[in-house]
Amino acid sequence: MRILWVLLFLLSFSCVAADQEPIGKVKTYKPEAVIIHDGTEVEATIDTSIYAGDQIVTRAKGTVGIIFIDGAVLTLGPTSRFTIDKFTFNPADNDVSFISTIIKGTVSFISGAIGRISPESVKFKTPTATLGLRGTKILVEVK
Amino acid sequence: MTITKAVCILAGAVFLTACSSTKVVLIPDADGKVGQVSVTTEGGEQLLTREGESTEVVDASQAPKAPVILEQSRINSVFGATLASEPDPPIRHILYFSFDSIELKPGSGDTIAAIHKDILGRQSCDISVIGHTDRTGDDTYNRRLSLQRSENIIRKLTNMGIAPNCMRSEYYGENDPKIKTADGKAEPENRRVEVEIR
Repeated sequence: MRILWVLLFLLSFSCVAADQEPIGKVKTYKPEAVIIHDGTEVEATIDTSIYAGDQIVTRAKGTVGIIFIDGAVLTLGPTSRFTIDKFTFNPADNDVSFISTIIKGTVSFISGAIGRISPESVKFKTPTATLGLRGTKILVEVK
Repeated sequence: MTITKAVCILAGAVFLTACSSTKVVLIPDADGKVGQVSVTTEGGEQLLTREGESTEVVDASQAPKAPVILEQSRINSVFGATLASEPDPPIRHILYFSFDSIELKPGSGDTIAAIHKDILGRQSCDISVIGHTDRTGDDTYNRRLSLQRSENIIRKLTNMGIAPNCMRSEYYGENDPKIKTADGKAEPENRRVEVEIR
């Protein structure tokens, strides 16, 4: 029994550690743009790391451009709010997905290797619709 | 009037918030390629397949509107600030390998030099070195081979002075072929390492 608890403990630890791997970096920004990671707001700047689960917010004049580890490129225009719900990237196991929510604002997105390996795994949710991107570039406005 | 719309308008009147709408536009990527996007609501689905094609959802219970082609000026008026902030797209180079080998094909020197030049030019510390194989050999073997190809290129670039902590070794095995083939098929174009400079 005790071993089970130890295993569970180690397992939960490994899951948290796996989640902490950065999945992208900020490449362009105009203030104000912030990344909300684990409830903490970080001002976006060049090379700010992005993690699965992060929320990205731009204010009235803010923009932010991010490139992900699969080569996907995301740009948010002013007054946007975007959440990365799920980002799985184990290409050798064919285990990939990129699911996010556009709460509001304007978005440009160019898919990368995840979209190439598994086109049905790139999805965006908005308050009114679900978008399935089968390569490669879209623009979305949510008001 | 649908119930959703009525509720929306009522909520709008009470909370001074407007209802949400979604506009989607399909445009070509930097290589001129136009893909596809499906837009789905509780009420139905639209598939955009043509350059500049756009649809709109104003009510989640209704199908998205019939697609129209948006003029460039319309696209710019809505997305101008966003498009102006796009990062430079990643630079990609491809190196080819001999069959079942981690050695580069003869004549790869120019590509290696171009990779080195582009890393310095962009001052990039965000580089993926991605190994691939063709579909001869089993999956497990190909994973290892693709990883070894990637590691070999990282060694070469490290010897040329690129910081190892700026390079990420990745291996896709046989899962991301440049040319799609049946399993077990030899395809020289798929025995490669892609270097992506971001």
